[in-house]
Amino acid sequence: MTQPRQKPDLILWLIVVALAGWVVPGASYFLIKQTRRAIVACITITLTFAVGLYIGSVGIVDSVGGWAWYMAQLLASPAVWLFDQMTRSGQYPSYGRPCDIGQIYTAVAGLLNLLCILSAVYMAYSGRGETIGQEEADAV
Amino acid sequence: MLSDVCLTLASFTQPESIGATGLSMLWMFPLLASIAVIYKTAKLRAMFWPAFITETLKLTAFLSGFMILAIVVLNLVVWLLTS
Repeated sequence: MTQPRQKPDLILWLIVVALAGWVVPGASYFLIKQTRRAIVACITITLTFAVGLYIGSVGIVDSVGGWAWYMAQLLASPAVWLFDQMTRSGQYPSYGRPCDIGQIYTAVAGLLNLLCILSAVYMAYSGRGETIGQEEADAV
Repeated sequence: MLSDVCLTLASFTQPESIGATGLSMLWMFPLLASIAVIYKTAKLRAMFWPAFITETLKLTAFLSGFMILAIVVLNLVVWLLTS
């Protein structure tokens, strides 16, 4: 049986869990020993974001012309900032329906990642994550 | 091998050609599946594969049905207003 964390430790732990989930989608679940959730979240969010980039090209990441979309896209990973730096020159233009669909896919991927982060942080806060992870491992 | 990697990366620098037709609405279904998967990932108390897959399929079907219904109703409203 693990000891409950002290308050300063818990706050630091929650911040680490949230940041890990932002850097690598699904990593926050992995930290609280929810391996299955981590794998599913990582594959789904990465795939959704990649499909969006494929449809609309990397040009859909535009912090100037589409800043509202960019805010949602940025939730998927800090790597989005690098894409924005790449597209600043206007070398990868994207217009019309492919741009719309690409922006929707990538922004939704970011918002889904936010949902995963919040869910994992809540599980880490309540201490539920490790208990359920153990139940799942025992059931195999 | 390297050329394959370069070709794959290059495909992310040009937008796909998707016309502004009704067929482009089909792109909504993979997104609905993604939303259903992540929602169930966050919502289910424990992740057991059979229950997870069943719940995800049910939610995907429900969301798809709702969106199709919304499309039909909106088209009817437009048709009534413009006819």
